[in-house]
Amino acid sequence: MKANWLTLLMVAVVFYGCNQNNEVAEIAGKEYGKPLELKETVKVSALLATPDAYLGKKVQVEGKILDVCKMRGCWIEIAGDEPYQKIKVKVDDGVIVFPMDAKGKTARAEGELYKVELTVEEARKHMQHRAEEYGEKFDPATVTEPMVFYQIKGSGAVVMN
Amino acid sequence: MKWRKWNNILHRDLGYLAFGLTVVYAISGLAVNHMHDWNPNYKVVRTPVMLGPVADDAAQVTLGQASELAKKIDPEATVKSIYPLNPETLQLFLSDGRSVTIEVREGRGEVEKVSRRVGLQEMNFLHLNTPRKLWTYMADLYAVVLLLLAFTGIFVIKGKKGIKGRGAWLVSIGVMIPILFLWAYF
Repeated sequence: MKANWLTLLMVAVVFYGCNQNNEVAEIAGKEYGKPLELKETVKVSALLATPDAYLGKKVQVEGKILDVCKMRGCWIEIAGDEPYQKIKVKVDDGVIVFPMDAKGKTARAEGELYKVELTVEEARKHMQHRAEEYGEKFDPATVTEPMVFYQIKGSGAVVMN
Repeated sequence: MKWRKWNNILHRDLGYLAFGLTVVYAISGLAVNHMHDWNPNYKVVRTPVMLGPVADDAAQVTLGQASELAKKIDPEATVKSIYPLNPETLQLFLSDGRSVTIEVREGRGEVEKVSRRVGLQEMNFLHLNTPRKLWTYMADLYAVVLLLLAFTGIFVIKGKKGIKGRGAWLVSIGVMIPILFLWAYF
């Protein structure tokens, strides 16, 4: 009887191990936040071409990490599949912390797409904050129009090498 | 008095136990307190480079051309990938983790090297409760230990230098400090 239990336990362990390996083989890398749920990724170009179609929906994107938040690792910018495109994946401060050395690696990230609409004043503050992060000079007079952009509220990501 | 003896034993032993965590929290506290002035987890070194005009449009630059550019910066450098951020700016990712941003029309660039602050990053990792899970309870326990240290600490000595004398003044000053700052800033 004892031997049967042991056999069952071993089978369960092997089965669990195989299952884990399959998942790792699918997207091997360091996981951040919640495990990815969606099976398919959407191209950043598609997302940015018709953002309203994805607004409020959970999406998964994949691409090269162009930049990481220098202060708290609270966002990554993912490159698009076409030139000059990128999308920011913003996570709650301290909940997920992306390492700065993830820059240049490939990430698959998941979260809800949302729209950010800023008045001229808010846009100036936003750009001022961004300039401070990069240690750059900023002239508020250069921002003369309201800003609209889209971001993903990240729930989880996998950073691959 | 017997209670004071036990109070002092508790204060002493909790003090010993809390030493390691106090050092971690204190050092990391100093580091993250000045987060706006420096990066407590990474050392970022940016070096300007002049490469000469590369292309009219960053999207036209090939991986081969980018490799040649990287060799001008460092003969050992190999390019992992490139990405045109906008028509004027190309980003190169080198195999050793460095990245290079190049203004392709003017040929002005900047090499960014990011290295971990070994030791400090681990302390910040714990201090900011990045691991969560069991560490959350460990940190809670440490907070309780700090409370016990604070309360047992005021009863360590009796007499004129204890809580009925000089201690009362010092404790009052210590309590007033946060109140004063709250009054000024809150």
